[in-house]
Amino acid sequence: MKLAVLMSDYRSGIDMIDRLSADSLGIIFVGNGVYHAAVKDGGKTSSLLGKKANFYALVEDFETRGITAANLDSRVKAVNYGDVVDMIFNDYEKVIWI
Amino acid sequence: MATKKLSFVVRSLPYKTEASRLALTHAIASQTVEIYLNDGDLVEASISYVGDGVLNCLKGQQGMKHYGITTIEGHAKNTLLLDMRVLICKEDLEKFGLSEGNIVMDAEDIGGETSAKIVAYSEIQKEMETADHILVC
Amino acid sequence: MGKLTIGTFSSLVGSLSLDFAVKLAEAAVKKGHKVDFWMSGNATMLAKKGQKAFKDYSFLAKPIQELIATGNFQICACEACAEARGYHKEDCPDGFIRKSMDWYLASTFDADRVLHIGGD
Repeated sequence: MKLAVLMSDYRSGIDMIDRLSADSLGIIFVGNGVYHAAVKDGGKTSSLLGKKANFYALVEDFETRGITAANLDSRVKAVNYGDVVDMIFNDYEKVIWI
Repeated sequence: MATKKLSFVVRSLPYKTEASRLALTHAIASQTVEIYLNDGDLVEASISYVGDGVLNCLKGQQGMKHYGITTIEGHAKNTLLLDMRVLICKEDLEKFGLSEGNIVMDAEDIGGETSAKIVAYSEIQKEMETADHILVC
Repeated sequence: MGKLTIGTFSSLVGSLSLDFAVKLAEAAVKKGHKVDFWMSGNATMLAKKGQKAFKDYSFLAKPIQELIATGNFQICACEACAEARGYHKEDCPDGFIRKSMDWYLASTFDADRVLHIGGD
């Protein structure tokens, strides 16, 4: 399946995503999930970024939190709400919120 | 005539928030959806408990006694009474040191004939793959 | 164009997840899609007239009315969840529907995509 995951949390839900498998997996960091895209904890990037997936972070949510596109991990692409709609309808068959 | 399949995946702990309660009540609502649809069209919901969500299935919940609210246990039994497909993640139960004896497996005491199934996570993954939509709660 | 059904359970003001759901709905309608917006649990707070706009707090009443006016957006509150919170039919803003949970399940039947935001 082609699955989009809207990851809205920073401290929980990682175990759920770790177990997911999909032919095409898109992890879109929204809400507090954007910290996965930019923050290093103890010098380390988020373990989620090591998963085989396409990574995106919502501009409106990371800029709200004082993060800029320049701060994003190189594996993460900045997207806006319109892009998220297009991805949900065109690139992925199912979408879940964590 | 078509049937759409919804996979409710319950990962939230019960009671502090109503997420898992609402997952079960919404899934149960699939039983009366025909009033909105064309004849023969159906929405079929299944429920999978994963991660911390398996703790929703513990027997002996006393929400009514202490807070005056129906228990998640009661709703879980209703899903089985209504013959819904209920899957409980084996690996997560084992992680909490739980087994069949600790959790709601059937609704025989209220006339139900369907049992929950303790399955490997891989079965829950398949359930998600075959559903039309996945609703994580 | 397609149909997106969003089920949201997050609190008004107390959680920006509800704002996310509304902004996603706006983006989808702007692109020509239809959106069904189901509110259950704490999200039924949105189905209450008389919300005031303060800079410190989300104000979703206006964008919701603008969405309703497009004709491509339906918004429905869970009747039981609303009543449990003291929100009655007469408290509902114009254009809102109130139904039982099977409305949401029925909406998913012909939705191309379903997004369930199941908690605060």
